[in-house]
Formats: sequence, C-alpha cells, structure tokens
Amino acid sequence: MTSCPRPEELYLYLEGELGPYDARKLEEHLECCAACRDALAERRLLHEAFTSLPPFEVPDGFARSVMDSLPEPEAVKAGWLNPLLAGAAALAVGLLGFYVLTGTSLVEVLVAVNGFLGSAVARIAPLAVKTLKLGGVLLKVVGDLLALGFEGLGTFTRLLGREGTVAVLGLVLLLTILAVFGARRFLHQGEQS
Amino acid sequence: MTEDRQLVSRALKGDRKAFEMIVRKYEQPLTSYLGRVTGEREAALDFAQEIFLKAYCSLRSYRPDFKFSTWLFKIASNHLIDHWRKKKLPTVSIDQPIEEEDGEVLPQVADPGPSVVRKFELAEIREKIERALKSVPAGLRELFVLRHVNEFSYEEIADIKGLPVGTVKNRVFQAKELLRKRMEAA
Repeated sequence: MTSCPRPEELYLYLEGELGPYDARKLEEHLECCAACRDALAERRLLHEAFTSLPPFEVPDGFARSVMDSLPEPEAVKAGWLNPLLAGAAALAVGLLGFYVLTGTSLVEVLVAVNGFLGSAVARIAPLAVKTLKLGGVLLKVVGDLLALGFEGLGTFTRLLGREGTVAVLGLVLLLTILAVFGARRFLHQGEQS
Repeated sequence: MTEDRQLVSRALKGDRKAFEMIVRKYEQPLTSYLGRVTGEREAALDFAQEIFLKAYCSLRSYRPDFKFSTWLFKIASNHLIDHWRKKKLPTVSIDQPIEEEDGEVLPQVADPGPSVVRKFELAEIREKIERALKSVPAGLRELFVLRHVNEFSYEEIADIKGLPVGTVKNRVFQAKELLRKRMEAA
C-alpha cells in the first residue's frame, strides 16, 4: 500500500489539478485506505461549499453611480474629416459674410476665387515642372559621379594588389576610429566646459 | 474575453456606454471579491467604485494580449494593499508558515478525525465558512476568494498577485485547512 496522500493533494484532486499519474495513484490508495476515503469525503463537502458561496448583492443603481462618478472622456482625437469640415464651414461663413458686407453675389465671389486659384496654379505649374527637370539632371550627375568613383576605386585596388589594399583599408579604419574618438573627446570637453 | 477587448476599445474611443457594460459585467464579481476579503459590504461597494474609476482612468495602459478580468483584479488587489497599508493592518509574509496559537495548522498527513462537516448541511457549512473566513489572515483570505469565489485559475491568480503558481497553490491550501480548523473549533 502506498503512503497516505497529503491533504493538499486531496484538494488538488478534487479541483482536477492533480496530474493523471498522481490522480491514479491516489485513487488506488483510496481503495484500500478508509481513513483517506473519509478525509476525501470531508474535503469534498467543504470544496462544494467553498465553490458555492453566494455572490454579494449589488444595489440596482450601482453601475449608474459608478458612471456618474467618472470624469468626462477626453475629446476624441480629430481625424482628417474634422479639419476638412471645419475648413469648409469657415469658407462658407467667410463667403456669406463677404456677401452680406459688400452686396456682391455669391456666384461672383466664387468665380473670382476660382479665377484667383486658376491663375495661381498657372504660375506655379511651370515652376514645378522646371524643378522636377532640374532634380532629374542632378540625380543623373550624382549617379555618374558615383560610377566614376567606383571605377577609380577598382583601378586603384588592382594597382595596389591584395596586400596593398588591406594595408590601405587598415589605415583608413585606424584614421576613422581616431577621428571618431577624437571628436567624442572634443565634444565631451565642450560639454564639461 | 474578445468581448471585453471590444468594449475596452470602444470605451477608449469615448463610448461611455461600452464602459458601463464593463461595469455591469464585473460589478458583482468585483464586489464579491472585495466584500469577502474586507468583510464589509459598504466598504466593498466604495472600493469597487474607486477601482472602476482607476480602471477607467488607466484604460490606455491595458494591453489586449492579457485578460481584462486579470488586469481589473490586479488593480483591485493593489487597491486593497494600499488600503491595508494606510490602516496599518498586519500583512502575511509569503515565506512564513501560518501557525495557530495551539500549534501547527497544517497536518502533513490526511487527518480523518471526527468529521465536523457531516454535522451540518451545505447551507450551514457555507454560513460557517463566511464567519470563519473573517478570522483567516487577509493575505490567505484574498487568495482563497480569488480561487473559490471568483473562480480564477491558479495561473491567473499568480498573474494578479505577481507570485509563483506553486506559492499560490500552497497559500490557497493553507487558507482552506485553516478554515476547516476554525470551523472545527467553532
């Protein structure tokens, strides 16, 4: 006969928290141990009572009183629609005000605004096209310069050979490290002073 | 669980109705937990209100990959700890075994003894548990309530309390055996 289980194991068994192997072992033990059967029956009744304790009553208006005590929610973050609507509303108010003050009809105002916007676009468009063309030319020049640089580097490494390239790379690396640390030190001194 | 996440997401967008649904869903489990742990119904209702307010104000810190109930009860548990600290109530050390005045509480072998529970019907036992629960140290009582009243798994309780699962299991067991002993003595 196996030794009697600890009371903790009895609770875990009742809660289904004991592993299958341990549960089987315990069941086997229970078959031949009346004391443990009694102990288990007692814990079973207690377990039943533990798990069926009545819930606390909550007064009807509790949720309402909680909601009333909450602060007002933060304003919902405006998306793109709100500024657009606000702009449209401001424009409408502006046009209406202009009409009321000057007596000019709304249609005339709209035509004038349209004409102004059209002339602005007509002036800006050629400038934008020229800027784009210039950007294209600049990109081509930079690309050509980079290609030339790579070609020159290739020729240089071929002339130097493997050992020479390694030596030059090592020197460049050393100079870079010295420059970085020198700059950091310089900046650090600057902060201190 | 998904429903909770959706409600939180709606509440974060300013939908108060969604948060009210959360309050209605958790008002009873939360009050049962607070009431059983503090032993005072009115205090439990006040605490519940404060905890819902805390939850509402820190809703943005809730991470949806965790269960909302676990997050809410973590706030509740911390709220109680603060309350006990303010009132300077004795707290239970996790590392110290709980002992009764008459000696060790936890028998290491099954102790059949004179069966006390058979003397009472289940309803009577519940009443006795309610009374005995008040005399169980607050730290143990809280874990017992989370496990058996709120029906959290041991893993969830470990998460709420920030304790190892083994410690939680052991503490819940201690609470149950202590209750049994107190009922026996009554």
